[in-house]
Amino acid sequence: MKHNSVSAVINLVEPWEKLEPLTDARPVGTLPFGGRYRLLDFPLSSIANAGIQNVMIASPRSGRSVSDHIRSGNDWNLDTIRGGLFNFPYNDLSLIAPEKKDTLIHHYYDNAILFLKRSNSEYTVVMGTRNICNIDLKALLRYHKERDNRVTTVYKSVDASEVKPTNTVLQLTDNGMATSVVQASKTIPSSEGKLAKDLNIYLMSTVDLVDILNEANQRGDLISLERLMKQAVIQHNANAFEYTGFYANIHDIPSYYKASMSILKEDNFRALFYSQRQIYTKVKNEIPTFFAKSSQVKGSLCGTGGYIEGKVDNSVIFRNVFINRNSLIQDSVIMQGTRIGVGTTIQNAVIDKNVVIGPNLELKGTPEEPLVIGKGKRIFRQTEVTNE
Amino acid sequence: MTEKNEMLAIILAGGQGTRLGKLTKSTAKPAIPFGGRYRIIDFTLSNCANSGIDTVGVVTQYQPLELNAHIGNGSSWGLDDQNGGVTVLQPFSSSEGEKFFEGTAHAIYQNIEYIDQQNPEYLLVLSGDHIYKMDYGAMLEYHKAKKASLTVGVIPVSMEEAKRFGMMNTDETDRIIEFEEKPEHPKSDKASMGIYIFNWPTLRNYLTTSFTTNKSLEDFGKNVIPMYLANNESTYAYAFDGYWRDVGTIHSLWQANMEFLSPHNSLNIGDHNWRINSKAQVLPPMFLTNTSNVNNSMIVDSCYVAGEVDHSILSQRVSVGTGSRVVDSMIMPGATIGKNVVIDHALVGEEAVIGDGAEVKGTEKDIAVVGYGEVLGVKKS
Repeated sequence: MKHNSVSAVINLVEPWEKLEPLTDARPVGTLPFGGRYRLLDFPLSSIANAGIQNVMIASPRSGRSVSDHIRSGNDWNLDTIRGGLFNFPYNDLSLIAPEKKDTLIHHYYDNAILFLKRSNSEYTVVMGTRNICNIDLKALLRYHKERDNRVTTVYKSVDASEVKPTNTVLQLTDNGMATSVVQASKTIPSSEGKLAKDLNIYLMSTVDLVDILNEANQRGDLISLERLMKQAVIQHNANAFEYTGFYANIHDIPSYYKASMSILKEDNFRALFYSQRQIYTKVKNEIPTFFAKSSQVKGSLCGTGGYIEGKVDNSVIFRNVFINRNSLIQDSVIMQGTRIGVGTTIQNAVIDKNVVIGPNLELKGTPEEPLVIGKGKRIFRQTEVTNE
Repeated sequence: MTEKNEMLAIILAGGQGTRLGKLTKSTAKPAIPFGGRYRIIDFTLSNCANSGIDTVGVVTQYQPLELNAHIGNGSSWGLDDQNGGVTVLQPFSSSEGEKFFEGTAHAIYQNIEYIDQQNPEYLLVLSGDHIYKMDYGAMLEYHKAKKASLTVGVIPVSMEEAKRFGMMNTDETDRIIEFEEKPEHPKSDKASMGIYIFNWPTLRNYLTTSFTTNKSLEDFGKNVIPMYLANNESTYAYAFDGYWRDVGTIHSLWQANMEFLSPHNSLNIGDHNWRINSKAQVLPPMFLTNTSNVNNSMIVDSCYVAGEVDHSILSQRVSVGTGSRVVDSMIMPGATIGKNVVIDHALVGEEAVIGDGAEVKGTEKDIAVVGYGEVLGVKKS
């Protein structure tokens, strides 16, 4: 692949409402996942592994958590004089005031057009972050080049039972072309009971993408980039590239919880993190995690910088977590910097960053409805959690 | 904090470390892994960065490849400064001949062109093989306050230990009046830490005069300090009373790792105000399976534990198979420990492979060592 022949756009404007309170102060893309990653790390790593060095990130709001995580982009080889990382904030149309919209109406895509033109790239891949996968973008590009269609999109073949009626899937023709992206309820599974879950990845020539954006500007369409991409699939009948690796779709709390638990299965963990293509993230200099004499940790993932005295079973423990003695963490996700008090039991729960849970409490959810504690909360009384 | 180019640090990282046996066969001592995710030189490099020193020269000679790869451009320690940075100083050929060096002072002399480029007022000379946290800025303040020509960092040791060190005998103002190398009957408890601050123009003068006439100033301890004392240069001892370990032997390296394991270790590795940084690798989190049993141990990223780990340190990418037992040991990065293995009182080198059912057993007095990349498949008795 010629240097800089491909550029990438990561679109962080994604549905976040059903992931509250985890998405109260962050886009879906910076949701922590897998002990030390953010969802954004997966597309960024696919991009880095394909040697792509021209990357635009469209953030819904200020992008504070995005900038804090990616900094110069050095951790994904994006801190380079040839290309680099370009972060564009405030792309969430629902947050733009009506009077501001008037000035934006023919200019909403100006930044993206400028980025694409300056990239001098031949092709551009547009990706979201809520579909966790480890895709080989070079293979995707080869697939695209071998075919005549202007757009290539990506799907994972999954059992229809795993797809919710509101999830989007690709409608495929008999010869494997995608004719549209629709809600699962509006389509019928294959004879094997499979649906083509769309991964929200689109590849096309940069010129075509610039045309699509220019036309949207001219029409005065204030619609999301994701909708424009879906329209492009309908308009052009896209090639459909099948992805076969580890996959998880994050659209609400139970799906986030389920995805987190699924990587505790060794096969999934290895498929996602130990393939030919490494997953990169912001590096931190944490000290090793200390397992005290009383600790009992089984079937779990742990980040560094932790201090564990209690019992941990089938859980994802992020960096810098302090788990006091006689506590039990079971089937749960504990994010960075959280502290769990002496004798506290946590089951089927997702505890966000920098939470303090006092001693001798019981925090229990169910696998279908995990208990969620938002970022930075202090919980010291049982009533604070039983009422939630 | 020091002002720009006021003080240049030179880390002497060229020693072979023969007393570490198999472990330094293919790497320099300062590059040896320590404490799960560090290499020995990280402590000195982090101390420099934390002390506000932005220009550091690392003098290498013996087996430098791993060390060079580790240091890179110094960005891991924030030392990739626009105006400073880390320079790896490797012996090179010049019109005067090859610039390999014999002793510590000779190493400085051979790199005089680099030091002249930086043109510092003060030269801080450090060893790359000690485990400690120290503010060199405070030592410089002391050096200035004493109007010293040379300040030597000293640490209190017991009379028994004193017999292994270079000892500084001082007057009541901490001025050094006598230096004794490995004395039979020590007169003070102040052992040299191998840390020196020199007024560079003075040292430069001594070195150039010495090497252009005869070759007597090869070593700081053996030659330079005695000459400074004989010439009545103002030479002071700067007392350091924190945690400090020389990890030059198998036993001391093992011992320091075991001390590192204690949550009460006075090194206080978790103190965010004086972080020890290292070249960070992006690796997946550690995975502890349903058959794991980990106690009193430190584990880092990308470890896979299916066996028992007790009072031990596992470095990055170490795997411990089911039925295996690792006790009182330090396992270096990438080592693979098979199933039903026993590792007891041992240092296991990087990328070593221990086959199923093997035993590596040392004792507190005689630590077992598995070399870098060594493969042990047969059962040892």
